[in-house]
This record gives sequence, structure tokens and C-alpha cells, in this order.
Amino acid sequence: MELAIISAVPFCLSLFLASPIARKSLNKPLQTVLSSAIMAVLFASLLSMFPQLRNEGAIIQSFDWMPSLGISLSFYLDGLSLLFAMIVTGVGALIFFYAGYYFDEAEEHNRFMVWLSAFAGAMLALVLSGNLLMMFVAWELTSVTSFILIGFKGATDAAAREGAFKALFVTGAGALALIIGLVMLSVAAGQILYPEQDFRIVADLGSILQATSLHQHDWYMLFSLLIMLGGFTKSAQFPFHFWLPGAMSAPTPASAYLHSATMVKAGIYLFARLSPVMHQNDLWTSLLLTVGLVTMLVGSYFAVKQGDLKGLLAYSTVSKLGAIVALIGLPDQSGLKAAFVGIIAHAFYKSALFLVAGTIDHAAGTRAINRLGGLRGKMPVMFWVTVISALSMAGAPFLLGFVAKETLLDAMLHHSGQWTQLLMVMVLASTIFTAMAGYMLIYDVFLKRPQKRLHIHRPSPWIGLGPALLALGSLALGFLLEPLIVPLLELAVPKSFELHLFTGFNELFFLSLTILLAGLLLFLLRRRVIRLITFPLSCDAFYREFIAYLEWAGTTVLHTQSGFVRYYLVIILGAVAAVVIASSTLFTLTAGQQLLPTDLSVTIIDLAKIFMLFLTVAAGLMTVVLREHVKAAIAYGVIGYAIGVIFLINHAPDVALVQLLVETMATVLIIIMLGRIRADVRIRVINSLWTGRHDHRLGLLRDLGISIVIGTAVFVFSLIALQNRPQRHSVAAWHLENSKAVGTDDVVGAIVADFRGTDTLLEIAVFTTAALGVLTLLARGRRSGGTLAPKAAQTGVLHEFDSQVVDEIQDATSLSTPFTRSVSFIVLPIAILIGMAQILYGGNGPGDGFTAGVTIGLAVSLWYVVLGYSEAKKLLPWFRPELIIRLGLFVAIANALFPLLIGGEFMGHVAFDQALGIYDFVGSFGLHVTSSLIFEIAIAITVMGGLGIIIEAIAYPTERQQESMASPETRQSDA
Amino acid sequence: MTELLFALSIGLLFGIGVFQLLRRDLIKAAIGFAILFSAINLFFVAAGAFEGEFAPYVSNVEAGRQTSDPLIQALILTAIVVSFGSFSLVLGFVNIISRRYNTIDSNDLNKLKH
Repeated sequence: MELAIISAVPFCLSLFLASPIARKSLNKPLQTVLSSAIMAVLFASLLSMFPQLRNEGAIIQSFDWMPSLGISLSFYLDGLSLLFAMIVTGVGALIFFYAGYYFDEAEEHNRFMVWLSAFAGAMLALVLSGNLLMMFVAWELTSVTSFILIGFKGATDAAAREGAFKALFVTGAGALALIIGLVMLSVAAGQILYPEQDFRIVADLGSILQATSLHQHDWYMLFSLLIMLGGFTKSAQFPFHFWLPGAMSAPTPASAYLHSATMVKAGIYLFARLSPVMHQNDLWTSLLLTVGLVTMLVGSYFAVKQGDLKGLLAYSTVSKLGAIVALIGLPDQSGLKAAFVGIIAHAFYKSALFLVAGTIDHAAGTRAINRLGGLRGKMPVMFWVTVISALSMAGAPFLLGFVAKETLLDAMLHHSGQWTQLLMVMVLASTIFTAMAGYMLIYDVFLKRPQKRLHIHRPSPWIGLGPALLALGSLALGFLLEPLIVPLLELAVPKSFELHLFTGFNELFFLSLTILLAGLLLFLLRRRVIRLITFPLSCDAFYREFIAYLEWAGTTVLHTQSGFVRYYLVIILGAVAAVVIASSTLFTLTAGQQLLPTDLSVTIIDLAKIFMLFLTVAAGLMTVVLREHVKAAIAYGVIGYAIGVIFLINHAPDVALVQLLVETMATVLIIIMLGRIRADVRIRVINSLWTGRHDHRLGLLRDLGISIVIGTAVFVFSLIALQNRPQRHSVAAWHLENSKAVGTDDVVGAIVADFRGTDTLLEIAVFTTAALGVLTLLARGRRSGGTLAPKAAQTGVLHEFDSQVVDEIQDATSLSTPFTRSVSFIVLPIAILIGMAQILYGGNGPGDGFTAGVTIGLAVSLWYVVLGYSEAKKLLPWFRPELIIRLGLFVAIANALFPLLIGGEFMGHVAFDQALGIYDFVGSFGLHVTSSLIFEIAIAITVMGGLGIIIEAIAYPTERQQESMASPETRQSDA
Repeated sequence: MTELLFALSIGLLFGIGVFQLLRRDLIKAAIGFAILFSAINLFFVAAGAFEGEFAPYVSNVEAGRQTSDPLIQALILTAIVVSFGSFSLVLGFVNIISRRYNTIDSNDLNKLKH
């Protein structure tokens, strides 16, 4: 449970920071302290699990999710996860604090922190996850949040957009490979662990680590390559390293956190995590070693060439990531100790250097190395932080980086594989370049005389806290290996090992000194050296070529597009028809089936049904034949009513009631809307439809063909379905037998409000969304005083809101005779009464929340039809659909959640009347106060509000259209 | 007997709906959309697991009467309301198109490409 909470906390923090409460009432310093303190608390709580880990080895906390697919919400904490999780939270706390002083604008800071804490949650979930598939979800979440953070300034900065896209493209492509690899691995693990079962996915980390013969599995080559591809792209290994320098357009706290300390280490975490079951195979070790070494060399080689401070740091990060990957790839896992020390040391010095770079950028307004200089006096804290961190990076004795470098050299020198000499040359070259980069950071930025006087804007002193603490770590932890680092590593490294700051004046020590001196030499000659640095092959250029090709392909494909909406529909439906014909499904399906009825007897009820069916089809044909829209709409209404009667005959009174009401509503809606469309527009389309152009006849035949094929297919399918209906033994019978417990007589009502209540809850949410969709479509932009006022004209067709125009329309179109007015006045209260009766007594007869909502909605829409928009709005001040819809959903969700509070389950049944002791009292009125009743009320309120929104949005007059209002066909509908 | 006629009507309604959906006239297309919903609801009611002589009420069950299938009815109930929601969204689309482009002829609308 603790682990689940720990990884959920940053997400909650993110949501909280995004909420209006935090944005309005917490100022920037408060948000900074709060978020940083939360990360520190997480760090401490992880630390507090250390003794338990030491005793038990690993903590596993698991919740079933999709057990049949091997997916569980499972958390796994061992030494390895702890190491990474402590970096995520510890470095996170310092960087969260730093970010508070990095951003000047509170709004920008808040937006940044929302995404940064979401990232922290994703990263924690990744390293704490005990299930490969869940880990993949977190993996992708880190990619997405990283995309958002890189493109944080994307609105104004094209480089940020490009960098964000590049990062997402590369890591996303890698993740596609990864998921395939992980699924294959899980299936393979299932075959190994459960040989007696045909197919079983084992994705739980604890179980996978037991499958020690994975490296002999037939699929090993494929899935290990795919998994490595995923890890290489994420951890910016050559040749995919180019996205990381591009990611430097992120705000610096994000660069320090995601693109140096945490996210880019996800690939490394994955390799280290799977290493126990994967490393016995040469493919795994040799590929990790080779790619890692090449990356290490290429990264450090490019780093010294960079003119941009952050670019230098990015490439040196690439180099360090390569070194760690190579160490994990050493045979027999002999490099793990060095890898973990490297990860810790790198987290300290590189984060500090990034934060310094961000501060300098902020203060001097530039990150160009050749423009910087002489900052020592102006930023003493930053200077000393840089001295310590850059020397730690270079591996100067007795800093933490020194230990990392010694262990690295030791592991490389003494590993059991071949090619030791070549390996050492690459490692030495790379470390020398890294040392050179370290000197450049100190001298070029802080000591050398700047070409032009820099204008320094002094930042808050608090900004130095994070970098200073990190530098202190680099300085002190070397001396605190025994009490702090060693116990942590003992949990993470499988073999016993020794770790000392100083191992004596041996070959390693002299090698280290040589590296430092050689780096110094190169640094002194750097003008010449840098000029020599070239590399014939640019991965970035290759990437650009690839993207350009993709875009070319996209443009080419676009030529096949006509842009006519109807054309797409014809293609889609035509394809369906073609598939139906080509597959000859209809013949295979009907073969051997008894489709034609044997019994031709017809009862009187059947005759009624047949008549209604005839009416339905005839009305359907009328909608085609009738030219005028109003007549077609009324014909459509006839279909709805006829179906309603069929429901009634089929003993479905509830459905019939809803059908009749909704159909009325739909027809009214079409007719209201027809009044909003100018008559000449409609007459034009009617004329063009029947007079036609030269291609008209051909198009008609084509559409007829498509509809006949699809109609026939539906006919055959439904005939087969209807002939083969399951009989009594369906789940429906269960509902009939158990509805009494809900306390209603009406089984359909019980299903809607109780048995399948979650369905209904989602359904009213969908309905609400549709209503809001109508609102957004028709009332874009401005709203004032609770009324929907459309935006000013943009295209010349939209007309500005003008109350006078509204009044003119009222005059011209008024249906408002004294008679109609009094009818509508009387209908509304009656409708409300009927609605209430339907809710309260719906349990005993037809009618429920839906019908109540629609009934009241219909009465309100009558007001809008009779009185027009503005008067109806004026006379019904209490009818505020937006508020009503909120109230309805709130009640529905609260009612669904309430049982959880008293120990029940979501949407469980609660008998309030029995609990409150008023069962007999309300029972004497024929009522049962249960959660179902409250849910019905919520449904009614929501449906009413949704309908209200739709009516208001569609009835809202926006055009001068007196002439359309006066057109003959509308008159007919009025009559 | 009624099964055949139900299937026939459903097929016909579906065909009519598809045909209407393909019209240039967007209002006819919207009506076609709604007819498709009706056809589907009609199919559902005909496809209930069993037929009965009485409405599905507990009192009817207790009296030992043969009731109709309640589950499919609950599903249709949901379907009707949701299809109404989507239908109103379609009407909203038609409305905004007529306002913005001053036409309801889908052949005048080829802006999807750009």
C-alpha cells in the first residue's frame, strides 16, 4: 500500500497544482515550498523502508487488475528500485525548490510544476512498478510529460517544438519496439514457469526474475533486441543520441531533472532490472558494451565542441549514459557496482551543473560559452558549485566522481572478456575529453575575461540552495562511502564488493592522474583540438532526411483526398458494401439455416405489429420522397412513434414512454433548427437535389446500390439473429428474479438505476457531453450573465448579438397568441408534477428518471417555441441548464460514491429509509427511499439540464431571417 | 412470421437510413442518421432473449406470468437517450455549417482538405 501511495502522491500534487484552488490561493513561494517538501517527505519515507528491505530483500505489493492478461497494479521495491526512487525524489526535491526561483512569472511556474510533478509521478511509478506492462505505461507517461516539458515554450519557440517532437518521435518509436519485446518476454516467461499451460502471460517482475532460463528461449534474440532498442532510444545511446541535445530547449529545471538525472536513466534502469535473467547471453552483453562504449566516446567527443553551455552538458550526459550502459554490459554483471556509483555521482554533479547553467542563462541572458566569462566575482556560490561539480565530473581526487571513475576503470581493466586494450583506449579517450570539458566549464564560464561586458541581473540568493546542496553531496559523499553509499549498493549489487575512496598509490590512481593531466593538456590546446573535431556521419541529418521523406509521402497521399465530406462517407460505406459482396458472407451465413417461417399463423397482436412495421417503412420512404424538410421531419417523427407503439405492443411500456417522448423532442428540435436556417439556403439545396447536374443519375444509382447492399446485409443478419434467439436461460431471467430486493416493482427501472447503474451513470455523462458539444458548437466564445451570447461575426455570416434583432424576430415569427401562451404556461407546472410522480412512483409503473427529465424538457421547449428565446429566458429565470446539469451529475456521482464511505461498493444499493427508520412512514405513501431513487432523481435533473442546454443553444436566434421564418413550409409546421 | 417481417423492416429502414445519409442535403442526411438509430432500436426490441405476454414487473413475475425480457429494454432505454444526444450534436453541426458557410449542401463543403 505504501508504495502505491508514494507513486500516487506526485500525481495528486500535479492535479492539486492544476486546480483553481492552488492557482488562486497559493502564491509562488508557497507552491514551491509545498511541492519541494512533498518530494522530500517521499524521499524520507522511501529511506524509512530501508531496514525492511535489508531483512526481506524485496517488498512486493500487488493489486489485481487484469489477472487473465497477467496485468496487475503491482509495486516492487528492491535495492535497485530504491536507488532510482531516491534519486527521483531527492534530486526532485532540490529541483522543485530551484524551479520556484527560476521562473519569474507565477502562471508559468505553476504550469511548469503541474507537468514536472506529473513527470515525477510517472518516473516513480516506472521504477517502483512490479509489472512489466505497468512499467511500460509509466515509461510512456514519462515520454509524454517530457514532450510537454521540452515544448514548454513551444508557443513562441520553434526550436522547442522541434526538439519536443524529435524526442517524442525517437523515444516513442523505441517504445513501440519495447512493448513488443516486453510482451514476448512475458509470454516466454510464462512458457518457462508454467510449461504445463498453453499460454500464460507472466509480467510480474518477481516471477520473471525467477525465469532464469530465459536466455535459452527460442525468442531470446528477438525480444532482447527489441527491449534493447527501447532502452537505447530512451537513454539516448548512439545512434539515437541526437534527441537529447535537442531536448535542451526545455526550461533548465526540466533538463536537469528529466534529461540528466532521471528519465534518460529509464533505459539504464530497464537494463539493470532485466540483467539478472538476460546477461548470460553474449548478444546482450556484447551489444550493450559496444553501443555503450561508442556512445561514451562520441558523446564526450562532441561535448567539448559545443558552443552552448547546455549543449555541452547534454553531450557529456550522453557520454556518461553510454559509460553506464557499457558497464551493465560487462560479462558476469561485474560492472554493476561501477554503474551504480556512476549513476549516483552523475546525479549529483550533472544536476548541479545544469542548475548553474540555468542560473547563468537567467542572469546573463545567454548560454553561449564564448560570450560568457568573468562570472566568478558576480556569482561566487555558482562558481564554487561549478568548481566542485566539474572536477567531480572530471574525476578529480577525492570527490564522488573520483570514486565513480576509479570503479569504472577498475571494472573495465579487470573484466573477463576480450578486447581489453581496445576497450581501454576508448574509455581513456572518453574520460580525457570529459576532463577537458570539466576544465572548460570552470575556466571559460567563470574565469576568462568576457569579450563584451556582460549585463548581469542578480537572481535571488535562494536559487543557489539546490546547486549548493548537490555540490556538497559531490564533495562529502566520497568520504561517507562506508556509512551511506555502501549499504545502499549492497542491496542493489548481487555480488559482494568493496568500495573505498582511496585504494592506495596503485595503477588506477596513476591512471586517474594521467587522465586529468592529459585533459588539462588538451584544454590548453583546445583552440586547435576543437578545430580538428569532425564527424562524417550526422545522425541528426539522417533523422531530418527521414522526416522530410515522411512529409513528402504525406503530401503525396493527400493528393488522393477530395476534401468533400460526402465523398469519404461514400468510400467508407461503399467499402462496407464491397466487403459484404466480395466475402459472400451472406451466402455462408444463410447456408443450412432455417430462415423462412414455417408457421404462417398470425394473431391479432401480430397484425397490429405488422401494421406498425408497415407504417415505419412507409414513413421511412416518405422521408426520402418528400422534398420539403419540414414534411420529411414529420415523416421521421412518424417512424419514431410507430416504433414506440411497437415497443408498447411488445410489452415494454417504459421503453415506449421514453421513445415517444424523445421522438417528440427530436422532431421539435429539427423543426426549431429548420427555423434557424435561412429559407433561400434550404430552397437552393432542395432544388439542386431534384433538378440535378449531369452526374446526378449516376450518383443516385451508386447510392442506391450501396444502400441496397447494406440494407440486405442488415436484413440477413437480423433475420439470423432473430431466428436464433436464446430462450429463457439468459441473464435476463436473473434480473426478473432478483429485482424485488431493490424495492421496485419495475424490473427495467431496477436494471437502469441499480443492477447496471454504472452504465447509466456513464450514459448520462455521455449525454451531458453531447449537450455540451452542442453548446460549444453553437455558442462559441463569450457568455454573459448566464445567457449564451455568440461571438461577433467572423465570416460575415454570423451576426452579432443584438437584442433589437432578437425582438424583431420575435415580432415576425411569433407563435405567441394568447391561446398558445396560456397552454404553455399551464403545461410546464403539470409537466413538473408528472415528472416528479414518475420519479417517485416510477418503481410501480412506467416512467423513470429519463421520462421525467424529458417531460419537463419538452414543456420548457414549448416555451421556447411559443414565446421565442428572449422571452422564455426572461420568464424562466430559474431554468439555468448549466447549473442544473452540474447539480445532476454531482448528485449522481455522490450517490454512487456514498456506499464506499459506509463500506459498500461503488454504486452499491443503500436503503436509506430502513437505515433512518422511516421505512413505514414513507412506505405509507408508497415510497421507497433508496439509492436507486436518488439516482433516478439525478438522472432526471441531468437529462433536464442537458435538454435545456440543447434547446437554448439551438433556439438561440443569431440571424436576421425574417424571410425564412415566413417561408411557406415553416408556416405549415406552425399550423 | 413476425421475425421475418421485423428483419425485413429493419433491413429496409437501415437501407433508407444509409441512402439518406448519402444525400447532399445535410438535413436529409441528419434525418438518415436518426433513422439508423431507430432501425437499431427496433432490432434490439425484436432481439430480446424471450417474448412474454406481460410487462416485466415483479408483481407479474410473482403472479407467475410470462414477462418480456427486461434487460434488452434497459439497454434500449439507454440507447435511446444516447442516440438522442448524438442526434442533437448532428443537428448542431448542421446548424453551425449553415451559419458559417451559408449552405447546407455538402457538395459546397470541401474544406476538409485544408
